[in-house]
Amino acid sequence: MSFISPFAASTVKAGYGSIELAVLPPDTPVLRNVSYQYPLKLVAPDPQPPPKYGTDSGAPPLVHTVFLLTYGGGIVAGDAINLSVSLEGRTRLALLTQGSTKIFKTPDLALVSKQHMVVHLAAGAGLIYLPDPVQPFAQTAFSQSQIYQVENDQSSLCACDWVTSGRSARGENWDIYQYKSRNEVWTSDPAGKKRLLLRDNLILDKHGMTGMLLSERMDAYSVFGTLIIRGPVFSGLARYFMDEFEALPRIGGRDWGDSGEMETSLKEQRRKDRQSREKADGLIWSAANVRGFVLVKFASREIEGSRNFLRDMIKEEGSVEASFGERALLCLK
Amino acid sequence: MTTSDDQQSLQDEILDLERRLHDAKSRLKKEPSATATASTTSTDNAALHALLLLADSALPLGSFAFSSGLESYLAHHKPSPPSASQLPSFHIFLRLSLSTLASTALPYVLAGYRNPDDIETLDNDFDASTPCTVARRASIAQGRALLTVWERSYKTQYGATTSSTSRGSAETGGNIAVEALSSFSAALRKSDLINAHLAPLWGLVTCVLDVPLRDSAYLFLFSHARTVVSAAVRASVMGPYQAQAVLASTELQDRLRGLVEEGWERNVEDAGQSVPVMDLWIGRHEKLYSRIFNS
Repeated sequence: MSFISPFAASTVKAGYGSIELAVLPPDTPVLRNVSYQYPLKLVAPDPQPPPKYGTDSGAPPLVHTVFLLTYGGGIVAGDAINLSVSLEGRTRLALLTQGSTKIFKTPDLALVSKQHMVVHLAAGAGLIYLPDPVQPFAQTAFSQSQIYQVENDQSSLCACDWVTSGRSARGENWDIYQYKSRNEVWTSDPAGKKRLLLRDNLILDKHGMTGMLLSERMDAYSVFGTLIIRGPVFSGLARYFMDEFEALPRIGGRDWGDSGEMETSLKEQRRKDRQSREKADGLIWSAANVRGFVLVKFASREIEGSRNFLRDMIKEEGSVEASFGERALLCLK
Repeated sequence: MTTSDDQQSLQDEILDLERRLHDAKSRLKKEPSATATASTTSTDNAALHALLLLADSALPLGSFAFSSGLESYLAHHKPSPPSASQLPSFHIFLRLSLSTLASTALPYVLAGYRNPDDIETLDNDFDASTPCTVARRASIAQGRALLTVWERSYKTQYGATTSSTSRGSAETGGNIAVEALSSFSAALRKSDLINAHLAPLWGLVTCVLDVPLRDSAYLFLFSHARTVVSAAVRASVMGPYQAQAVLASTELQDRLRGLVEEGWERNVEDAGQSVPVMDLWIGRHEKLYSRIFNS
């Protein structure tokens, strides 16, 4: 008979942490394990039933939320964070942060701060990872990787990875030494052979022989982000992004005045409002349907532009809020 | 005047010394090494010949149909008086585009050459790393075209490395590469999981053709520069003479050499996007009102 301690287990190594979400038969998701060690901190508030529980028969009865925090609200040079997350079948987890992840100045280029996360998603499990953006200050070196291992196409994932140019109020504009962020999704075939499904790797450093400053390479954008969407839980959201991308006005097209006078439905009106806000925010985005994923890339002049875009899109579509609750969108507020 | 005279005489002296050194060397190893010298030149010539084949703009890869994001970039950067030259922004784009290519695709060229057996994995991983449909389509179209050129044109000449014709150090590697290429090409017809992207295939085909790796990598980057410059000519950014000047410039030469050097040791796992806005320009090419290119 196994005994489950009510206290968080202590892991030995600094910066290590683990989250395990299991199913207690017959159908209750439970946090089997949440453990962490300085400088990492995990906070797990009480799970909540999804807002529309009961109407959607396929959804599990509880949605868990875990906040990913660091002492001091940021990552100091030389810190290394190692988080492992595992979700059993039919569990739902929203992984969030409270405020942007600040990366502090490093005294030495070679001293790179690291954050590494490995996530196992069983068939039927659903993870939404919507953190605040990473904010690397001037003279920082940071490298992070998010590795997702999915069982099959029934594992659902919606993960956002975005980065800003630094403290713009202090005039910082991509004055970093190095920033790397890697997102990978792997699966294994029945024989156990691993296969790469998706790799999204951003490398900002001095290489590339451009002879240009990093800020010049960024074309005056201060936020870049990627949203990775996959699996049945997020299929509605994925479709929505593709449809809206399809409906974007053509670049360089002209309005000849013969399209504007038509009756517009509520949906079209909302779309128009969003598109004009995108224009005002200087936000550009693209979406692609590749290898069973919908991959959204976006960039904006200011952080609010990207926040508005993500919130508008996810709220308008509605399925994320319906299956994970409003709390999952906390970082977009 | 005197300095140029002096230099002239110095140069003459150098030439003379070099000629004498050459003579002396050839006299030293006259008889035994005569055949060896002949064979090195013939392999050098073979490599040069293959390089010329691949560098030919008539190589039917269909590269002319792709601008690699230039068209979209220009649409996103309209000059403020519409009559102003787009040349300055073109130069920026060319640099960014080469940097992106070197950070995303070059590692796969090198790996395709060095590890012919891994071609299917490389093809899969490159596909997984290409985030937008437009870039993916362009890479696959050219990769498949290269495979067709191999099948229909090069195979009869280069496919039989098992014969006694010595191919220097690449002999064993060449055999493996030919087999890898043949089985890959056969698997392409059967499997949906194989795409045939250009970068790893470029590495593999140049390996089979015995082009030295550095030349292969350099040519891969140069061909891209040539394609983008040629697209710029057709997009009325510059004239054909300016275009040749860009391609001939030492600036471009140094950049290509530097990029090969920088990427020489980079693993495919560490390939990634160095210019994030490039993904957006290329991805949004689909949204252009008018287009003359496929990417």
